[in-house]
Amino acid sequence: MTGSKPGSGARASRTAVLLVPALLFGFLSTVLWRTQLERTDLTAGYNAPLTDSARQLQDEQSSLKSQLADLRARLDGIQASAAAQSGTSNQLQQQIDGLKARAGLTAMTGEGVVVELDDARTGVPTVKEPDKSVCHATDVIDIVNTAWRAAAQAVAVNGERLVARSSAYCIGATVIVNGTLKSPPFNIIAIGPQNDLAGAFADPAQLRDIKQRREDGSLAFRVTRATALTAPAYDGASSVRFASPQ
Amino acid sequence: MGAVAASLVALLLGLLSVTQFRSQDVYSRSLQQETPSSLATLIASLSDRNNSLRDEIFDLRLRVQAAEESVASGRGSLTESQRQLSQLRVLTAESPVRGPGIALSIDGAFDDRALADLVNELRNAGAEAIAVDGARIGPRSWFASGPGGSVVVDGGVLPGPWVVRAIGAQEVLYVAITRTGGIVGQFALIYPRTRFATTKELALELPPRAAR
Repeated sequence: MTGSKPGSGARASRTAVLLVPALLFGFLSTVLWRTQLERTDLTAGYNAPLTDSARQLQDEQSSLKSQLADLRARLDGIQASAAAQSGTSNQLQQQIDGLKARAGLTAMTGEGVVVELDDARTGVPTVKEPDKSVCHATDVIDIVNTAWRAAAQAVAVNGERLVARSSAYCIGATVIVNGTLKSPPFNIIAIGPQNDLAGAFADPAQLRDIKQRREDGSLAFRVTRATALTAPAYDGASSVRFASPQ
Repeated sequence: MGAVAASLVALLLGLLSVTQFRSQDVYSRSLQQETPSSLATLIASLSDRNNSLRDEIFDLRLRVQAAEESVASGRGSLTESQRQLSQLRVLTAESPVRGPGIALSIDGAFDDRALADLVNELRNAGAEAIAVDGARIGPRSWFASGPGGSVVVDGGVLPGPWVVRAIGAQEVLYVAITRTGGIVGQFALIYPRTRFATTKELALELPPRAAR
């Protein structure tokens, strides 16, 4: 039965051939995983005071906007009561109310569409162009432009009403709308003629880049009709300091 | 034994692929993922915005007080109403305006998306009134590409070359668009044959928005 020894040796060496790379893979993968965890912890540790400051400033902004809204409401109350007592003031007040509505300083309700835009959250992002797998401020600007072109009367992005002072831009991966930190998913509501709005977003000639990225599975983009949408009033700073009306 | 080893290899390979997949999971967009440099810029941006809000709150408190006193003394709130009317006409772009700012001339190839980005950038820098050639930009203005390399603003075709004028804090506007890596620098890379020239202007005069 001496022939069994070489057979057993061959099996042992075959097992070793499989086991050695397996152990090596296991070792390397564990090292990779641990290094990533440590790096993430380290980055989060360094960033903690900065993220805390950003959050505090964002909270402070919410409180300042709330104070501003209260003061605006108080001024409106004073003017409304004065207008009730004077014909001239009443006429002026009507003009002011119309202008406020057109400037986006009062809430608006009506039919329109809701545009949902989000990063690709499933699957592996396109390695060649990972930048295309996240939504950017420029995507939001393109969508808003399409809505205005289709005669939207009011547009709001995640609760931020867009007016003549509005802007949307990216700092790192964070999108800032009206100076307020926002992150995907984006819900963009456009109030206006529903058929025109839905038609513009369905038009293949519009938003080609966004639609191509949706087809590639690297971006989520969906437009739905809605009948009772409300765009809140713009609650940011709006004073005029440099432009003198002629 | 061979089958057990093969299973072990498969298991570990699976573990490896899971780990690699985790390393590509870059989709969390929370602030923790930002670089310290981005966070510093975010903080500066939020701080600037909060200062503007504080200034406006201060100004509004004075206006509320003045209006209350005026109404209490029987003079009504005419002064406040006229002030609001005048400011709202600027915000809606319904009145012609005059003031300091900047002018950016664009001579060469350009497009509607770049123009929309430029207007967005100027608004972010606090521009109170903007016009492209003779077309005043309003709260609901839109941009599209036109025939022969022209751009369309609110339905009107602008063939170019274009002059974009913006009224606001002159230095802030100028630095915002001409800084290194700023929007004009990016345009110069995208449109290498186009000439961009930015000037500071003491007294720009912009027309009202055309009726829509």
